[in-house]
Amino acid sequence: MAYYVNRTIKMTWWERSYIPEIIKGMWLTSKRFFYNLFGFIPFFLGTEKDRRIMTVYYPEEQVQYPIAYRGRPVLAQNEDGQPACVACGLCEIACPAYCIDIVPAENTGKQNQYERWPDVFNIDYAICIFCGNCEEACPEEAIFMSDDCEISMLDRKQMLYTKEQLLTPVADLQKRIEFTRNMYAKWNY
Amino acid sequence: MWVDLAITLVKILFIFAITVGFFAPVLTWVERKQSALMQDRIGANRADIMGFTVLGLFHIIADALKMFTKEDFIPDGANKVLHTISPIIALVPALLTFAVVPFGGQYTLFDKEVNLVISDLDVGLLFVFAIASLATYGYVIAGWSSNNNWSLLGSMRTASQMISYEVTMGLTIIGVLMVYGSMKLTEIGAIQENFWMWGVFLQPVGFFMFLTASIAENKRIPFDAPEAESELVAGYFTEYSGLKFGMFFMAEFIEMVTIGAIMTILFLGAWHIPFLTTATLLSWFDFLGTTGSNLVVMLIHLGVFFAKVVFFIYLQMVIRWTLPRFRYDQIMKLGWKILLPLSLANILVTGLVILALN
Repeated sequence: MAYYVNRTIKMTWWERSYIPEIIKGMWLTSKRFFYNLFGFIPFFLGTEKDRRIMTVYYPEEQVQYPIAYRGRPVLAQNEDGQPACVACGLCEIACPAYCIDIVPAENTGKQNQYERWPDVFNIDYAICIFCGNCEEACPEEAIFMSDDCEISMLDRKQMLYTKEQLLTPVADLQKRIEFTRNMYAKWNY
Repeated sequence: MWVDLAITLVKILFIFAITVGFFAPVLTWVERKQSALMQDRIGANRADIMGFTVLGLFHIIADALKMFTKEDFIPDGANKVLHTISPIIALVPALLTFAVVPFGGQYTLFDKEVNLVISDLDVGLLFVFAIASLATYGYVIAGWSSNNNWSLLGSMRTASQMISYEVTMGLTIIGVLMVYGSMKLTEIGAIQENFWMWGVFLQPVGFFMFLTASIAENKRIPFDAPEAESELVAGYFTEYSGLKFGMFFMAEFIEMVTIGAIMTILFLGAWHIPFLTTATLLSWFDFLGTTGSNLVVMLIHLGVFFAKVVFFIYLQMVIRWTLPRFRYDQIMKLGWKILLPLSLANILVTGLVILALN
């Protein structure tokens, strides 16, 4: 369906003369300009600047991302240092980009309390599309999307993260764990 | 004779220092920083030397270095000679207009009359317009010689816009000439010693029309159709890089200063402080002797003049960051259908008032 813009807006004579509207706009921009300009003076007096800056001075200042933000996926690490992962391979299957690579290891002597764990757990961030399917598929609350998005490198090979690089203590992931429990209702079946 | 030559040389050097050396580079910084403050941003402050940014002032040095070291590119099929000289043709008129622009009155220094204008022409105002319109050639040739469709479109727009608005400019000036009865810019400035003789009060409509037309002449934002980024890549300087591009850039900023200076002289009382005549100022500093008092008054007048110029530059920048770009047909409509009849009516009314007062 064609979309038409209504170009027959009736303007008053005051608006059509244009100059008062220009002055109104210039008043607004000048107001902001002088507010921010004089807000800079306290900086020279050694106090806080009084400016209404909407931007973030990025590498030095950082914003707190919302908890629903999907950064790079990380592996949860239990308090005893072992990964929570049981190497079931569901995330590997769920991954639409095939960026996860798992080689499982099994307990044979029954001495260890863990029955299965990943021997190799690689995620290639050069391939990852940050969809969060792995997190949704995981039955063990082992893989989570973190809020870290600064994974630019000079070499593509460095973007292949191994298990040791991926492991993150569970304590750091508590908020996200709560969020996924609500989001995917994992423990409410 | 040698003294006169030396004085003229000093004045020329002063003008070069203040335009090319101070205004052109600093305005690139001012434009970024002012727009940032208006839009609640921080602005350019990344260029640093040993961790010091000095409010982003090092960006001037970084810009200059960048322009010097960039490849000087001439596209295939371009006319090499014209492509090379067109930035010069665009920049020189902008600098040349300052030859007749007075930046102060007449002072007696060491028993010598010093007139703060490089060349006090009898037809100063005409000279300004004659030289300023020469810059159009630079822009048109730049677009034509680049062998690029966008450039050609941009230069054609430049040509039509400059011609349209020069008509308004010229007719607005006639009103000023009728009021002051002189084309000599120094004389026009001298008359405005009386606060109520300022151009803003005698030619209020002319003031607004001249401001509009001169911004259109300079191709700055409400009238920047010739270089419209969203339509024509960069207009006539699409194919320019390095210092040639820098010259176009510099020409724009120097033209801003020129416009500010001309408007100050014609409409805002030139170098005079309201309600304060030169004689009064001189009498205040009488204890310094003739040369001393004249020197102090000269410095005060210079400061006042450039403060007014800075005000006009600020005004142009506020307009540039407040208004969106006009459509091309709107520019033409404004030029021919509104400003031209208005300027003619302005001449008529001015003439009638002068007739009635006599």
